Amino acid sequence: MIKEFFRKRSINVCIVNTGGCNGCDIELVSLLASRYDIEQYGIYVHNNPREADVLLVSGPVTLPWKNRLKELYEKTPEPKIVVAVGACALSCGIFKEGNVCGPVDKIIPVDATIPGCPPRPSEIIQAILKVAPIALSKREEHLKKIASEN
Amino acid sequence: MNVVPLGPINPIFKEPIRIKLIVEGETVLGAEIEMGYVHRGIEKIMEGKHYLKGIYLAERVCGICSYIHTWTFAECIEHISNIEVPDKARYLRVLTTELERIHSHLIAISVYGLSIEHETFGIWCLNTREHVMDLLETITGNRINMGFNVVGGVRQDINKEMIDKIYKKLEELRNDMKNILEIYNTGPLINLRGRGVGVIGYKEIMKTRAVGPVARASALPESDWRLRHPTYKELKFKPVWAKEGDNSARTLVRIKEILASIDLIEKILELYQESTGAVRNRVNIKGGSGEWKNEAHRGEVTYKISLTDGGIIKRIIIRSPSVMNLEAYKYMLKTCPTVSDAVTTYISIDPCISCTERTIVLVDKKTGKTKPYSFK
Ligand code: SF4
Repeated sequence: MIKEFFRKRSINVCIVNTGGCNGCDIELVSLLASRYDIEQYGIYVHNNPREADVLLVSGPVTLPWKNRLKELYEKTPEPKIVVAVGACALSCGIFKEGNVCGPVDKIIPVDATIPGCPPRPSEIIQAILKVAPIALSKREEHLKKIASEN
Repeated sequence: MNVVPLGPINPIFKEPIRIKLIVEGETVLGAEIEMGYVHRGIEKIMEGKHYLKGIYLAERVCGICSYIHTWTFAECIEHISNIEVPDKARYLRVLTTELERIHSHLIAISVYGLSIEHETFGIWCLNTREHVMDLLETITGNRINMGFNVVGGVRQDINKEMIDKIYKKLEELRNDMKNILEIYNTGPLINLRGRGVGVIGYKEIMKTRAVGPVARASALPESDWRLRHPTYKELKFKPVWAKEGDNSARTLVRIKEILASIDLIEKILELYQESTGAVRNRVNIKGGSGEWKNEAHRGEVTYKISLTDGGIIKRIIIRSPSVMNLEAYKYMLKTCPTVSDAVTTYISIDPCISCTERTIVLVDKKTGKTKPYSFK
């Protein structure tokens, strides 16, 4: 019971840079600063795919990342949500002709997108807060399913 | 002997890189670095494009030091075709670069703070940085990837209100930085954690050609390319340096450099207010090839460009500082007693992987032949 109650209110986030220019990553890191203070919403940046609920993917998928990203997606435990951050992750942006194998949604399913090069931290928070309820409801369904099976 | 793999996704790494630490018990014996995760082939995309497109690509070599890349790119082309840049633009370029240096160094210090598990210190630096980002947004219009530089000058001028705002914020920033410096020097948990860890001396620096704050923390102040830049010469710039060469000294050099940058900005604002005229000149591109160096936040960055008369880029070579600094990491590992020290040492050299992954060799896919990436 207690575990269920608290897991509903904590979302773990993992940042994956699949070959972007770092700009989007830095804006994601600055969410930790006390001006934006992402932890007040119960969102924790852990960078550990094995305990993540939300994967924030930034950057076009470069060739070495292609299989790794699939692996990473499989490693993430079930109710999971993928958010593509930045123009690169949406459409490869400026690096379309380079050493890349396509935008993120070509490799793994994407649930939400944030356009911008890079998007502002406030936009990122807004987006995460919008998809978080979906993640939570998905998790509730999942927990119910497990409960009914037992 | 065992191998501890770190990355490409690791709680403390900002960017994807894989490090295999070779350990015996807790003692670190060596490291193997595997790169290539962020290689996008920017040089190849730039070839055959107009320089106006090239400057945006140069900006996206790295998001943390995006401004210095456009500056070096622009100055390289100005150097090739003998373009005069107005005084105002020269000062504005230095102003923005120094602001960016402050934000980049603050990120480095903050991540170092997080990596030694001193979260308060880390988040404090991160919060101080937001004020610098505000200033950058006021001047250029964007927080990161500003698109402020053009060949022949800068895109926009600043006005009186902005100057007042900059002065006010700088004063606050100076007080904050003095507090941070005091905490850093007197707080035993922060400073002692890095003493004698990851030491690198003069001899090894010469062997690996390490640059930037890494070299300056090992008593090599002349490695600063700002000493050779014409605008900085006008400001009588003096580099900051230390002689211990360990993690603690590297972070200290960064903190002191921020204070030096604040002084530089105040000087440049005075010079700016005395100058008049436009901020941008009409340009007339002549073909040719040339090279230009600048001091980025992590060390020297080199651009080598050859272009045609119309301004089409034929070949471009970019060399960024982190390559040499990562080489120096090998020698620092000798004084890392534990695995967690090896990680903090890696963070303390502040590597930038997006910058590092440049084209070095070309491989012919059909024949499998390799050749170095050069002008010929
Ligand atoms: S969207 Fe822009 S800022 Fe983000 S990784 Fe791509 S180029 Fe960099």
